[in-house]
Amino acid sequence: MFIYLDKQSLLHRLHPVTKIVGLLLLFIWSMIFNHPLYLSIIFVMVLFLSILAKSLSNLEKFSLLLIILALFSTLLWSFFLRGPTRLFKLGFIQISKESLLYGMAMGIRIDTMIVSGIIFLSTTRTEDFTQGLSSLGLPFPVSFALSLSFRLVPTFQATTSTIIQAQKSRGLDLESGQLLKRIRKYIPLFVPILIHAIRNTDLLAMALESKGFGFRKRRTYYLQFRSTWKDWLSIAILAGLISFSFYLRRNGCGVIFHRI
Amino acid sequence: MKAIEVNDLNFAYKGGAKKALDGIKFEQEQGEMVVLMGHTGAGKSTFSRCLNRLIPHFHKGDYSGQIRILENSITGKRVHDLVGQIGLVFQDFESQLFSTNVELEVAFGPENLCLPREEIRERIDEALEMVRLKGFERRESASLSGGEKQRLAIASILAIRPKIVILDEPTTDLDPQGKLEIFSVAKLLRSEGYTILFIEHEAEAVWEADKIVIMDRGKVVTEGKPYDILKDVQLLENHGIRPPQIAKLFEEINEPMLPLTIEETLKVFKKRDWKISDEKYAALLEKDEQHQIGYGKKIIEVKDLEYIYPGNIKALDSISMEIREGEFLAIIGQNGSGKTTLVKHFNGLLKPSKGEVKVAGEDTKGKQVWELGKIVGYVFQNPDHQIFADTVEDEVAFGPRNLGIPKEKISHYVEQALEEVGLEGYERCDPFSLTKGERQRVAIASTLAARPRILILDEPTTGLDYREQKSIMELLENLNRKGHTIIIITHSLWVVAEYAKRVLVLHRGRILLDDQTRKVFSQEEKLARSFLVLPEIIRLSNRMGRTLLSLDEFKYCLKR
Repeated sequence: MFIYLDKQSLLHRLHPVTKIVGLLLLFIWSMIFNHPLYLSIIFVMVLFLSILAKSLSNLEKFSLLLIILALFSTLLWSFFLRGPTRLFKLGFIQISKESLLYGMAMGIRIDTMIVSGIIFLSTTRTEDFTQGLSSLGLPFPVSFALSLSFRLVPTFQATTSTIIQAQKSRGLDLESGQLLKRIRKYIPLFVPILIHAIRNTDLLAMALESKGFGFRKRRTYYLQFRSTWKDWLSIAILAGLISFSFYLRRNGCGVIFHRI
Repeated sequence: MKAIEVNDLNFAYKGGAKKALDGIKFEQEQGEMVVLMGHTGAGKSTFSRCLNRLIPHFHKGDYSGQIRILENSITGKRVHDLVGQIGLVFQDFESQLFSTNVELEVAFGPENLCLPREEIRERIDEALEMVRLKGFERRESASLSGGEKQRLAIASILAIRPKIVILDEPTTDLDPQGKLEIFSVAKLLRSEGYTILFIEHEAEAVWEADKIVIMDRGKVVTEGKPYDILKDVQLLENHGIRPPQIAKLFEEINEPMLPLTIEETLKVFKKRDWKISDEKYAALLEKDEQHQIGYGKKIIEVKDLEYIYPGNIKALDSISMEIREGEFLAIIGQNGSGKTTLVKHFNGLLKPSKGEVKVAGEDTKGKQVWELGKIVGYVFQNPDHQIFADTVEDEVAFGPRNLGIPKEKISHYVEQALEEVGLEGYERCDPFSLTKGERQRVAIASTLAARPRILILDEPTTGLDYREQKSIMELLENLNRKGHTIIIITHSLWVVAEYAKRVLVLHRGRILLDDQTRKVFSQEEKLARSFLVLPEIIRLSNRMGRTLLSLDEFKYCLKR
């Protein structure tokens, strides 16, 4: 399963640095408010972005995860926080209007961040990511390793699922038993996975070295990126929105709890 | 000019007890194709890694000796100093590829060499042209077939324009079609003037080499022209290489003249008036029928099975078949034809999207994998995907313990399973210290110990040398004789011909053929359409109007 979608869109064409900075700005933006209404506005804008990025199909794949996370966060925060306006009480469980709203806000915040991440991965190849990190000043081997880790997730997933099936075929039953017993049951999975990972990394390192990886400090790139006015405009718009949001927040808008 | 010159090369891995390379002497002229053969563990890969300095820089150990590449000593050089001269392609294509798409994979090497963009563009074109992957530039490497992936790995090396290309068992993990693709790329490279060092198991594929070198226990045992090496059946068998069948036939009937091709062989037969005896062939057919009568009751029944993977990919379509107790069935077909998907239905790892699968009379729907595990044992392709315990004994006892077999019985079952696979005395050994062939046996024993009636094995012979392959198959034959139903998935058609009694050919998720081995293998053209090329001896007999599955059968029926 690869998240990257090989399409042509405004976001695909942006400079990787713009996309990395943009992603960080989106994270910051979603941290400013803790009111569900304000966060919803941000969420809707991020959704609009994913339409621009032609990556809705990827959001669909993750939709179940997004819904579950939002629900869980809403429930958990509502139980654990106490607010002045009580809505409901049963034994030691009590929910207030404020804690419910805060919970919803946290759910929307997590989803906003994940959706931003999915948009980023849908429009950015690992090679773009590597180059972006390099142009931000990271040494090439470091940026390469960082982006490679994303690339290796699917390969790793595939092996893990093979190993699970192999052990299930030998009668391993992961579903039943008490917690402690169940943890022990994972040993037959961890050992082969670990060994596979070590072996794989070893081979990959050899293949890289045989292709001149780390040969010189400098290297050229086959992909060429030039920043255009669109890059500057995108960052400017995001920065503007964030500044405005900070202004609102300082004036007391979009806040349920001031401090937890 | 000499491309490679090696003198008295010695190497022992750090912590390794034995020398991996022991006084190697080796020479290769520029433009030559040399094939390196020998047992698994003979030191072939180790040798190839010395040539581009991965040894001693990446793998540490005791190293001594002189190597000259293109007439320059490489002593003291680093791996990247040799990048433009030697390119190394590894067996495991999955872990060599890491880029998003085909062209970026090929661009990686030239980028590291700081080449300008236009030049990289040219080199991508040239390299992809060479491995016939033009038009694949934007494809994700994950979406390629095995053969295509390995060709991509080769292209990514060619883009660096090395003078010497080393191919380290590039075909081991490929299906027959993929293998043919790699051989034809190797041929093309040679005609383009590359110097090629090809590490390969299959003797029949290396007739075109300039020289064959055989290694054993870290030494070069012998070298010579393909014709001289390949007709020496004894030599080949001693070094874990399956001899070409026609060569073996002529040796066994004490006929010194050796024809190389099937055409030539037919000419020899005609000249001497050698024929296949009708009575003896009839006796073989009679034996086939007898065998079939001996099967027990239906143990697996598949009806109108359809399986759809997430993302609406139809992997199996209208499959109906039955397997009786005591059968030895081989499932063949290209990668992606649905072989593994089908057998995963037999132990409940997958459940039908449509249709039904019954095991021992019961529908697999609603059954857990471990419940079916009492009847169906499944040995996965790579033993390293399941071995985890500290001792062989614990590893083998894992299955029976999971199935809740009482303790007193387990040790007995384990003992018997180890005996059946020929690993008695290994109980206290660390499974990770064993060879691949032995680990494969541990995996089989660990499945056997649960005493399943059906044994499924996915590619049981991949990555093993001829001697190991034969001994695994003899083990399965033995288990079959004792009453186990055996189902194997394999690409190795000589294995099918010599051991399986029935063959199921899958093609794009459908059954293409399903019959006795002899009847399936008589339909050579139909199989060829699925890129399944039969072993020499069967093709030879088919040309003579009969289907003989093994050398023994051929000798038995040959009227001289």
